[in-house]
Amino acid sequence: MPVLEAHSVVKTFVEGRETVEVLRGVSLSVERGEVVALEGPSGSGKTTLLSILGCILTPSGGRVVVDGEVVDTGDTRVMRRLPAIRKRAIGFVFQQYNLFPALTALENVEYALEVKGMRGAEAHREAERVLDLVGLADRKKFLPRDLSGGQKQRVAIARALSGAPPILLADEPTANLDSQVGQQVLDLFRDLCRRENRALVVVTHDPKVRSIADRVVTIRDGRLSEPALAA
Amino acid sequence: MVSLARKNLLHDRLRFAITILGVAFAVTLVFVQVGLFLGLLDNASVTIENASADLWVTSKNTPNIDFSHTFPDVYVQRVRSIPGVARADNLIVWFMQMALPTGAQEGTEVYALEDFSAWNLPWKTTQGSLADLKRGPYFFLDSSAVRRYGPFAVGDYREIFERRLKIIGTTEEARSFTTTPITFMDFRLAQELAYQTMQAKTTYILVKLAPGADVNAVKAEIHRRLPHNDVFTKAEWAQRSRAYWVKNTGIGLNMYLTVFLGILVGIVVVAQTLYTATMEHLKEFGTVKAIGGGNRDIYAILAEQATIAALVGFAVGVVPSLLLKPAMTKIGLKLIVTPGFAVVVLVGTLVLCLVSAMVSFRKVAAIDPALVFRG
Repeated sequence: MPVLEAHSVVKTFVEGRETVEVLRGVSLSVERGEVVALEGPSGSGKTTLLSILGCILTPSGGRVVVDGEVVDTGDTRVMRRLPAIRKRAIGFVFQQYNLFPALTALENVEYALEVKGMRGAEAHREAERVLDLVGLADRKKFLPRDLSGGQKQRVAIARALSGAPPILLADEPTANLDSQVGQQVLDLFRDLCRRENRALVVVTHDPKVRSIADRVVTIRDGRLSEPALAA
Repeated sequence: MVSLARKNLLHDRLRFAITILGVAFAVTLVFVQVGLFLGLLDNASVTIENASADLWVTSKNTPNIDFSHTFPDVYVQRVRSIPGVARADNLIVWFMQMALPTGAQEGTEVYALEDFSAWNLPWKTTQGSLADLKRGPYFFLDSSAVRRYGPFAVGDYREIFERRLKIIGTTEEARSFTTTPITFMDFRLAQELAYQTMQAKTTYILVKLAPGADVNAVKAEIHRRLPHNDVFTKAEWAQRSRAYWVKNTGIGLNMYLTVFLGILVGIVVVAQTLYTATMEHLKEFGTVKAIGGGNRDIYAILAEQATIAALVGFAVGVVPSLLLKPAMTKIGLKLIVTPGFAVVVLVGTLVLCLVSAMVSFRKVAAIDPALVFRG
């Protein structure tokens, strides 16, 4: 049973007088526990697809089903539901980590849980649990500036995992890490997704990602090279 | 609970300090300016508030206690005979000239009664006995006169309207809005000194009501018997005296202008620092949205920051205001900071900071969570 589906997704942007079609009928399906690498050259539409799968953008055509919730063309009601879907079903990991610099590792995770509606001691326990999972139990009181790149990305992964969203979306998670640390982070990602039965879509240029992916899909000129689901 | 608002605010300590200084400056400015204004207004009615009169009979259209006009002193008999009046006495408030030992002439505001003890005037004597005022050409002088007249002591002599009078006592807290020092002397002596205008004249009649008397009925009867005079309750007369200075001089406008400028400085500083902080944290706010937060979550962050700035700024701003109080007293100025006024300033500061935070709301509403994917 897929936890994330894209059906003939089209996305257009209006730039001045021109309409640019970034995605041209993309279809994709991802199961729980599956790791999908999404590759493609710059400007091919990878990040746009990730934004639509992550309910940050709405499709101009087609539809996306996120953990059973249908998201189609962006009328106001759909737009209003997006934050709630993101809260419940999606965890993001960003290329630049996007940690809150004023918060410690523990607080970064705890704050994300609070935004998702978890409060007090429960949020604190869950934050400690996921930091333990990513091997940062001894760094939880550290501010991001005192952590290495790999450690920051682990905090970001812990934040994404917190609250048990069924879908994780990662945007170039190893781009700012050296090769060895990048591989460690990817291995951690794969293990956690399998152990916790989460679906993971990783947008990447990094060939190492292939080593942890169950499937590699390539996007070029707004089309997937090998659609995983018939439109 | 993790407070991103507080942590972000304290993370950049220099900006936080600037924000707090901006708020504190506005708070101090408002406290000092309004406190001094309240002090001046207090002087404008301090003798009315302390005198134990329930009603004041004045000449027609007297604007305030200092700018009195004369009327026949026998009018007091008409008032004394009104049912419900327990006691009525004449009071002279009149500006006279005092010659100083230096040869200089200074004005003095004379309060003259037949029996001071019956009217709680003056209310704070530091030397001498008021009963002695009837024994000769004597007077009491308020200690605040030192600034205008130079040092003086009980037993010294001064000339008022070219008559040599002896200082037999001193008072405190007796002030007038005009800052002219106040002297207290016997009613007949005051009439003699200014005989050209004050012969058989008074400027006020003080009225004490009998227990259970209907104040409005007594007022109406006084008005019927003295149709060319005005009658005020203590509260009305104090209010009228204060309002005169606010409405008829630039001091009210000056106070409002300074308060407005203080508030403007506060709003600009807080709005500017919060807006800059918002711009610098756009990506963080984008992250908040990406992880499921809405505009409301970010508004709450800005509102919390504004509230912290208001509370800390208020606390920092109130300290110099209180420290200035004794310094102001030394130079003869009264700085009044009442708990009620402090609460008003605190609420005003909170509103000011929250309004300032709203400048950033539009920017926040426009944040696209997709910016988290930009490098």
